[in-house]
Amino acid sequence: MLPRLELRDISKVFPGVKALERVSLDVLPGEVHALLGENGAGKSTLGKIIAGVYARDEGSVTLDGVPLGDIDEVEAGRLGVGIVHQEGSLVRTLSIADNIFAGRQPTRSLGRVDVEAMVARSRALLEQLGVDIDPKAKVATLSSAQAQVVEIAKALSQDLRLLILDEPTAALTLTESERLFEAVRRLKTNGVSIVYVSHRLAEIFTVCDRVSVLKDGRLSGTRQVAATSTDELIRLMVGRDIVFSRQPGEKASGPPILEVEKLSAEPFVHDVSFAVRAGEIVCLAGLVGSGRSEACEAIFGARPRSGGEVRLRGAPVRFRDPSQAIAAGVGMAPEDRKEAGLFLTMDVASNISVSVMDRVSEAGRISSAKSEALARRFVEELHIVTPSVRAPVGNLSGGNQQKVMLAKWLALDPLALIVDEPTRGVDVGARAEIYRILRGLAARGVALLVVSSDLPEVLTLADRIVVMADGRSVGELAGLIADEEAVLRLATLRAEVSAALDRSSRERVA
Amino acid sequence: MNTSAPLPMAPPEAATTSARSARTSLPGRILFALANSRELMLLALIVILAGGMTIVYPKNFPTTYNISAVLLNAAQNGILVAGMMLLMIAGSFDLSVGSTLALAGVWAGVVVGWWGWPAPLGLLAALIVGGIAGAVNGAIVTRLGINALIATLATMTIYRGLTYLTAGTGVTPISDNYAAYGETVVLGIQTPFWVMLAIVVIGGWAIAKTRFFRQYYFIGGNARAAKLSGIRVERLTLIGFTIMGLLAGLAGALAASRLNSAVVSAGIGVELSVITATVLGGASLKGGEGTILGGVLGVWFIALVQNAMIITGIGVFWQPIVVGVVLLLAVSLDRYKQAHRG
Repeated sequence: MLPRLELRDISKVFPGVKALERVSLDVLPGEVHALLGENGAGKSTLGKIIAGVYARDEGSVTLDGVPLGDIDEVEAGRLGVGIVHQEGSLVRTLSIADNIFAGRQPTRSLGRVDVEAMVARSRALLEQLGVDIDPKAKVATLSSAQAQVVEIAKALSQDLRLLILDEPTAALTLTESERLFEAVRRLKTNGVSIVYVSHRLAEIFTVCDRVSVLKDGRLSGTRQVAATSTDELIRLMVGRDIVFSRQPGEKASGPPILEVEKLSAEPFVHDVSFAVRAGEIVCLAGLVGSGRSEACEAIFGARPRSGGEVRLRGAPVRFRDPSQAIAAGVGMAPEDRKEAGLFLTMDVASNISVSVMDRVSEAGRISSAKSEALARRFVEELHIVTPSVRAPVGNLSGGNQQKVMLAKWLALDPLALIVDEPTRGVDVGARAEIYRILRGLAARGVALLVVSSDLPEVLTLADRIVVMADGRSVGELAGLIADEEAVLRLATLRAEVSAALDRSSRERVA
Repeated sequence: MNTSAPLPMAPPEAATTSARSARTSLPGRILFALANSRELMLLALIVILAGGMTIVYPKNFPTTYNISAVLLNAAQNGILVAGMMLLMIAGSFDLSVGSTLALAGVWAGVVVGWWGWPAPLGLLAALIVGGIAGAVNGAIVTRLGINALIATLATMTIYRGLTYLTAGTGVTPISDNYAAYGETVVLGIQTPFWVMLAIVVIGGWAIAKTRFFRQYYFIGGNARAAKLSGIRVERLTLIGFTIMGLLAGLAGALAASRLNSAVVSAGIGVELSVITATVLGGASLKGGEGTILGGVLGVWFIALVQNAMIITGIGVFWQPIVVGVVLLLAVSLDRYKQAHRG
């Protein structure tokens, strides 16, 4: 059988990162072909190259035997290749029909939109996907699953041969996902080929025929789903060299500082429990969207809590605002330092002293000398490269910005510190220094909670690893004996499945 | 806050080299300083304009009468600009200040002129009304989460309507005792100027130096980061709007007392000229920047341009055009500086 899609030696470089390296695979007509990999493995990038969203640097793409040149998304649509984006491309204030035919509305004379034809065709498309929604309804009124189906209908509205689904269940509940799988099976029987990008193993066994696993931008293997196993796929996803040595420090034996019990922040966090002892580094591992950042925000008072308890040194606390958490000695360095962590137009000294302004003031008056002295101390201690403590933080490199953000929390001298993605967008050198800083903090008795999507990082830093999936804490592993496979196994399976696995892994740990 | 920037008038491709040579020659260094400080730039414009007027119109311009009139007329906006600058620093603003001013003035008139209460209670009434109006703005913005533009656009018309409802066509006269607040002359200038000067000096110091007001720069710089850094963003925003309302109330009380009459149409359009002054003085709509000194210099510059248009006979209608052009030039200079930051 002539493959619907043939990829040969596809390579793609983003500034500083080799996203894809000589990836070759093919997709048969009517086949559901999964692209599996960790965060950053290159699977979304590959999907976007097929759909013409990104241009490839090297390699060839052949569609039904016809080689394709460099095409954009519109042209790909005309050729029958559609993509349903992870982020969503719907305008919430417009109707479903308007969205499905965005920019391509059928028209009558004088360019008037032919609303009737548009609605009728939308209804037919939605029926084909097995859902019964009124195409005249606004997208804002839909559930996430329905919106996802509308996205698919939008892609299908141009007579597809090949559909790319990028993490289609990321925003869906289990039952909603079931509906989506039905729609996928129906498309398959109509002869549409589907490239199914996902990092959820369970889904692949439910709906896919073959699976290609990517690891660090390379294809590590293609398997028949019927002839493979979870273990084999996980082995294909990991198994790279760990760059940073594991240096578990003095074993933490301090008293518990931060205890979290059955913490909920609906709809993102459900019944999360763990504890961090003085001098211990606990890593929250899991996939993007598993609710780790949201759980941290709920602890820190930056997100309303809907249930559960947080204890600081044994006493229950309920922070309604970050200022209360900070007053109690809890800090949080957020994931997105530019949006939420730093004041880019302001200078290094101001950024470091923002949370301890009373310490750099005398009788309510800010002392420039004190604030600069504080900043200089940290610039020296953390090796922050900056022309002066009066230079705007926005001019610094990512790694140095990250250090400024850490300095701000070090200045607070916290009991417990939450660090969300400590090395995102940071080069290797600064990364090692940030690890050194975090270990130093722990050595001084601070309870550290680190969120990271980077498995080697988790294994490098953690004394203990708490894995989250779908908003729940699904397992706990001791840092010393954890490996990438164990973490991934917990993180990639659905919560229901992993609850069972969790018990067995606990037994193994014990 | 800028650490370095190229010479503003140099072509882009020559920016870095000319900036280096600019810093070595004296005129270069002066231009460099002017481009880097909006306050210095405005001061230079004011000095040049006033100097030119003095030379060309020695009989009309540099007289005590003229200068004190200009300063007195600028007093109202000078008081308002202190509050507006605080809000602009925090990335917000208040369009209802003109209406608040009128409402507060009318309440001073009602309390003293109609009810016959003592004059100090009129002043107090105006401050209370202004403070409440400001707090309501702040509550709408922070508690209901409606953005400042829409919220204060709505209260601008609501407060104006309340002004009409309260006093119909206004209160005239109020009382001689009350009028004394605005008409007493000290060192040749009436009290509103001295009140403005006190507010600007104290406010300017507080915003530049105190820990409390420094927080507003962080809010304007990045509100989300400020919240996650432990700054009480909502509470401080509410306080900022309340301060703005109090100052508008004070300005309204003084305006009513100067005329011995509470006018229902007082302060119409004043919000935009005050915001113009803040932007001229170095504020940005994004927040995080600006000083009270800059705002006051902006107010004085606008007042001076108006005065010059009248004395030269060019006509007062040219004043808004000149102010608009200077505003565009000043902001373009900033854009240019940002695009070619060295």
